[in-house]
Amino acid sequence: MVSAVYFCDGKGRPILSRRYRDDIPISAIDKFAPLLLQLEEESSVIPPCLSHDGIQYLFIQHNDLYVVALATSLATNVAQVFAFLHKLMEVLEEYLKSVEEESVRDNFIIIYELLDEMMDYGIPQITETKMLKQYITQKSFKLMKAVKKSKAAPRPPTEVTNSVSWRAPNIVHKKNEAFLDIVESINMLMNQQGQVLRSEIIGQIKVKSKLSGMPDLKLGINDKGIFSKYVEGDSDPVTTAVTEGKKKTNIELEDLKFHQCVRLSKFENEKIITFIPPDGAFELMNYRLSMPVKPLIWCDVNVQVHSQSRIEIHCRARAQIKKRSIANSVEILIPVPDDADTPSFKYTHGSVKWVPQKNAILWKIRSFTGGKEYSMSAQMGLPSINALDKPKVKRPVQIKFQIPYFTTSGIQVRYLKITEPKLLYKSYPWVRYITQSGDDYTIKLNN
Amino acid sequence: MPPLDKRIKKFLKNSIRVAPKISNKGELAELRSGLVSQYPQTRKDAIKKTIQQMTLGKDVSSLFPDVLKNIATNDVEQKKLVYLYVMNYAETHPELCILAVNTFVTDAQDPNPLIRCMSIRTMSMIRVDKILEYVEIPLRRTLQDDNPYVRKTAVICVAKLFQLNKELCIELGVLEDLVCALDDNNPMVVANATASLSEINAMDPTVVSLLDLIQSHVSQFLLALNECTEWARITILGALAEYTARDCVEAQEIIDRVTAHLQHVNPAVVLSSVKVIIKNLVQIEPESKRIVMTKLSSALVSIMSTPPEMQYVALRNIRIILEKYPTLLTKEARIFYVKFNDPLYVKLEKIDILVRLVDPTNLKQCSVLMRELKEYAMEFEPEFVSRAIQGLAQLAIKCGDVKFVSKTFEILLDLLESQEALKNDCCIAVCDLLRHAVGNEKLATDACQLLSTWPVNETLLLSDSAKCNYVWLMGQYPNKFDELQDKLLCFIENFVEEEPLTQTSILVTVVRLHSKLPGSVLQNVLELATNQIQELDVRDMAIIYWRCLSMPNSDQLIAELCSSVSPQIENTLHTFTSDVLEKLLTEISSVSSIYFKPQFDGPRGAVRHHNVVRGRHIDELKDLAKNELARKANDDVLLDFDDDEEDLVSPRSSMAGGRAQSHMDDLDTLFDFGTSSSSQNNGNDNIDKGVADLNLGQAEQQQNQQQQTQTQSKINSNTQDLLDLF
Repeated sequence: MVSAVYFCDGKGRPILSRRYRDDIPISAIDKFAPLLLQLEEESSVIPPCLSHDGIQYLFIQHNDLYVVALATSLATNVAQVFAFLHKLMEVLEEYLKSVEEESVRDNFIIIYELLDEMMDYGIPQITETKMLKQYITQKSFKLMKAVKKSKAAPRPPTEVTNSVSWRAPNIVHKKNEAFLDIVESINMLMNQQGQVLRSEIIGQIKVKSKLSGMPDLKLGINDKGIFSKYVEGDSDPVTTAVTEGKKKTNIELEDLKFHQCVRLSKFENEKIITFIPPDGAFELMNYRLSMPVKPLIWCDVNVQVHSQSRIEIHCRARAQIKKRSIANSVEILIPVPDDADTPSFKYTHGSVKWVPQKNAILWKIRSFTGGKEYSMSAQMGLPSINALDKPKVKRPVQIKFQIPYFTTSGIQVRYLKITEPKLLYKSYPWVRYITQSGDDYTIKLNN
Repeated sequence: MPPLDKRIKKFLKNSIRVAPKISNKGELAELRSGLVSQYPQTRKDAIKKTIQQMTLGKDVSSLFPDVLKNIATNDVEQKKLVYLYVMNYAETHPELCILAVNTFVTDAQDPNPLIRCMSIRTMSMIRVDKILEYVEIPLRRTLQDDNPYVRKTAVICVAKLFQLNKELCIELGVLEDLVCALDDNNPMVVANATASLSEINAMDPTVVSLLDLIQSHVSQFLLALNECTEWARITILGALAEYTARDCVEAQEIIDRVTAHLQHVNPAVVLSSVKVIIKNLVQIEPESKRIVMTKLSSALVSIMSTPPEMQYVALRNIRIILEKYPTLLTKEARIFYVKFNDPLYVKLEKIDILVRLVDPTNLKQCSVLMRELKEYAMEFEPEFVSRAIQGLAQLAIKCGDVKFVSKTFEILLDLLESQEALKNDCCIAVCDLLRHAVGNEKLATDACQLLSTWPVNETLLLSDSAKCNYVWLMGQYPNKFDELQDKLLCFIENFVEEEPLTQTSILVTVVRLHSKLPGSVLQNVLELATNQIQELDVRDMAIIYWRCLSMPNSDQLIAELCSSVSPQIENTLHTFTSDVLEKLLTEISSVSSIYFKPQFDGPRGAVRHHNVVRGRHIDELKDLAKNELARKANDDVLLDFDDDEEDLVSPRSSMAGGRAQSHMDDLDTLFDFGTSSSSQNNGNDNIDKGVADLNLGQAEQQQNQQQQTQTQSKINSNTQDLLDLF
């Protein structure tokens, strides 16, 4: 269990702390910065847990902050600690918009209050932002407007300890709507010849619920394992953009993970996804698929290095998607040596610029229609003197994109049934599909 | 309606914010005047400013009474602020909190549950015995509160109270209430009560019998699991992991109930579920085991798409689980391939897992992995590359196929030639492969051909273990080296400066090759090792050789030694001993599982005792507090106050904690040693190897024992262990 939580600046010096149990000396945190420094000097392998004098320093990095949890016992559940620290950042982000050194310094009070509410004696308690916001109403300095305060003194809502701890009753919306976003992120590693070395699809189903009362939702998707029997005429079937041209085959999702509102035992036994949603936006479930995918945006990159004089880059990008689809905000990041300079570019579409901070050339194409092919060439100067012993940094070409109205896996929502037992209102589910690049959509360059 | 001017006045009074001006000099005075201001807004602002100053590290404890005055208010927000302030000083200035005790007691009956909680939470944190006595009634009442939010806070307060004053806590009988809370109808109360009880159990296992309680509540726990928050689930799963099922039916039932939670989005819930399942897995029928294993593997894999810290925890735990169930993740290898933006610490763990999970009989999979590792070896981060090269050697040895080994060997030699920086790692890897492929002359020739071309100067090999391996190679294949004598002499020249591994290796090699070297060399090295080396292992080893040489049948003995062939290495992956492994499996997802150091079994030592202000009468304490404040008020320049503080309080017994820690360390070293000595063939354990090479017969044992008595004063556990190997 956690003894204390510290917010430290980029050098590891404490800014704010909350001590939950006094089994560690107050000076313990002062050891954190030197420990970190010492480790950095020794090697570049810095695991997120340090141990000194019987005290465990478990930390995560968030923007320019270190968030450190101190614990004494080896029996401390370290997974819980890291999960909590990440959750803490998530909650604070909803209060402060961006959590960094400056915003922490501006918002001591609200952070104290939240730390107090989210953890007691080192045991995580209530971390659901939507519920916390009902009784932690301290004004915070952020870009958003403060929550409107009610006249009555804030009290903890009774639901925080109920089995539906994430939703207040008596929520009323004029129009009852639920929005489903199915977002698939593609991670792919290719080599320069266009061979896919590995690929995976990480999918998320995000829900934005604007529903009154205590609605019970039932989601049907075309997964093999998921029971998707659907009672005709019970609610409007959702039409999808991907159905056309594709067979209604069932696909098999792996590693399904659900938001805590989903009745897991019901899913385990009957394979039905049912839940009472929190109000507002949340991620209902995520999944992973490891089916082979062909590159959606392919780049043929050709780099020629004339050492000591210049480097030439030729790049042809092709959108290998259906003609009717469009890939938006395509960004192609091509690495160049860090000592290259004086760039000159030739290109037909989008915009190209040199980003010296990243030692790369960034080619942006706002909209890229399926089947089209664009090209770009760049030339940069290299210094005539070569630093020989510098290790050659091998970085891949990174590509980012978004393709709306399209999922790679072919996942479809068959239905979303909304029942509110008391209010019996008519509700409208909306579904959107989008495919985008994951954080690892890359092309490996040969030497 | 009052006249307009009155209304305006009232409006101004309520809304004007006279923000305290912060100047460097009179800050405290300014805050103080703000705190007693007639404008409520200003008072509130002043409290906020005070808390801000407190956070910035300023000692604002002298404002305590002024802040405290603001606690009597209907404004919950303001009350909260005061509590924040009080809570902060509860730890450092417990005696000041006496002043607030009456308010606490009143607040514990406030109609607003939020305030009831704040009061009880704060009160149970203040380390003054007398205050703790005031806790009794509020605590009892809040334990029975109608509101579950209050109850869930109160159950934790019992553990806090226990930490501060065990005797009082037992005397009050709140422990019984806590046990009753396990049957509460609210799952969150149940979870917090469980957490509280296990905390108490960790502090003193004699007070409550946690295991019995868990046993009698298993069904409640299983029911509550579906109903509560993610954190409560973790607590309850933690308790379930302590419980050993009666029979295979019950074990199966627990597993069935828990597997659903493998799909929770919170990775900590997933790992806790994994822990419960692993615990019960041994008991269930083999046929249902297969299904559970599939679910386990997919759950572990899913954590690979969480933040890097979580991945790290998972990877370290997977390494433990894989040792028990080596085939668990064999099909999932590609998930563990390194992504270029993974942090380095994750990358290194991934390589380790990749080599471990691969199926050694599946040549295709091995080759795929070999190609992957080869790619890694051509990256740029030195630690990563070094680990990849080590991985290549480990993989080849694990696979064992002759062709595969030679293929890896070629890769290593290629790398060796291409990059200067990789020489150290490649040298070690090549030698490891040769230890595996004993008798494969072709490999040995190839290796020596390349390695013997290096001019021997120190810049080439930097790391201790690389040098050690190089010298070992010379000893093994003396005929394949050119200018062997010069090279060896060069090492001997620096003998004293070398690190222990290299020294032992030189020692062994010189003994092995003594007939090929000038007669004085052996004597010279032995003299150096016995006279000038501080390292006991090296010195003892030299003394043993010395003894052997001076025995009557030394010629025969030495000849026997030199002709001995070291045993083939089957596996270079580090393994746990079986009891360490079993222990670690019960500690999944804890800090100990990351360090691979099982927890110390006995009671966790005395809880570090805190500076509880004890045995004073309450009035006396109040006086004390007042004096304290009066003294400070006079001191405008705030002097370092901590020294006085120390007199007040009983010294923290860091001794007790320290002792427990050292116990732990002892234990850890023991375990470390246990593992390394049991896995003789561990790549770097060259001391062990050297000793094993010696192949000393039974006859020498007595000699050694005699030896031991002579040098007994110097012998440490290390050498003891070495001797045990004979």
